[in-house]
Amino acid sequence: MSLLKTLLTRYVLPNTYRATAVRFTSSDAKLSACDDTPVEMENPYKKERRQCILCKLNIKPDYKNYRLLSQFQSPYTGRIYGRHITGLCKNKQALVENEIRKAQNCAYMPYYYKDKVFLKDPKLFDPENPIRSHRF
Amino acid sequence: MPTYEVALMLRAMPKPELKTTLKRISHAIFDRGGIIRNIENLGFRPMPYKTTAHGIVHREANYFVFKIDAATKAVWDLKEEYSRDVDVIRRRVFKSQDTCDNNCTLEEELLPPAYREDVQNMIEVGKTQVNRFTYKFKYNSGLDYYPFQK
Repeated sequence: MSLLKTLLTRYVLPNTYRATAVRFTSSDAKLSACDDTPVEMENPYKKERRQCILCKLNIKPDYKNYRLLSQFQSPYTGRIYGRHITGLCKNKQALVENEIRKAQNCAYMPYYYKDKVFLKDPKLFDPENPIRSHRF
Repeated sequence: MPTYEVALMLRAMPKPELKTTLKRISHAIFDRGGIIRNIENLGFRPMPYKTTAHGIVHREANYFVFKIDAATKAVWDLKEEYSRDVDVIRRRVFKSQDTCDNNCTLEEELLPPAYREDVQNMIEVGKTQVNRFTYKFKYNSGLDYYPFQK
């Protein structure tokens, strides 16, 4: 009985499937002979263009918005984090650095530490895992 | 007339005095043919660092930002006047920037080095330079003496 079953599955059933498949394709071929050509289309697997967080959210860094700027500052030394940590584009990083210097000069922001009110602000990036390796 | 932002830190003082000070400051702008677009009060708060102005140490300040339209030459004059004002601890004038372009170049910056434009430019520049570390003086220079110190 088992032998019969294996024979059936191996030789008879696949043939029937193939026969039906052939029948279907032959009928379809008449309908869509010209639609079978490759379609010109854009690469569907193309990745989305990456953007930095300030460009994505359309934020302009401003020296009066020192709460935002303090997020780009080390809480221990007040040092401005570099591009390899913040993940900003060149343009926005230069703007942020410039605005931080302005804010520090206007006495909105401290030079050597981060304002303790802002210490629990959400982190935009992890200084321990930079995009490119540290020099240190 | 370009638009400027005048960031002022005023010393701690009672409200009526603050009012007269602000009036004095704005009249100084009007006298020089300037216009005030708006005045922002950023509040009274402790400064992040102590500052000495006019012989007194200040630890707290009233923060104000004046957005003004004034002639470029008048701005220098204003700064000079505010520097003599006893109630002004610090004044900074910046050109106001309203527009901001959002051409994010992050994608190009994250490419491997060989594909980055600035790296390619550096390689091109490097090809035109003499490598100081591997350069060796050639003795067949046509001179009958060695031109450098031995």
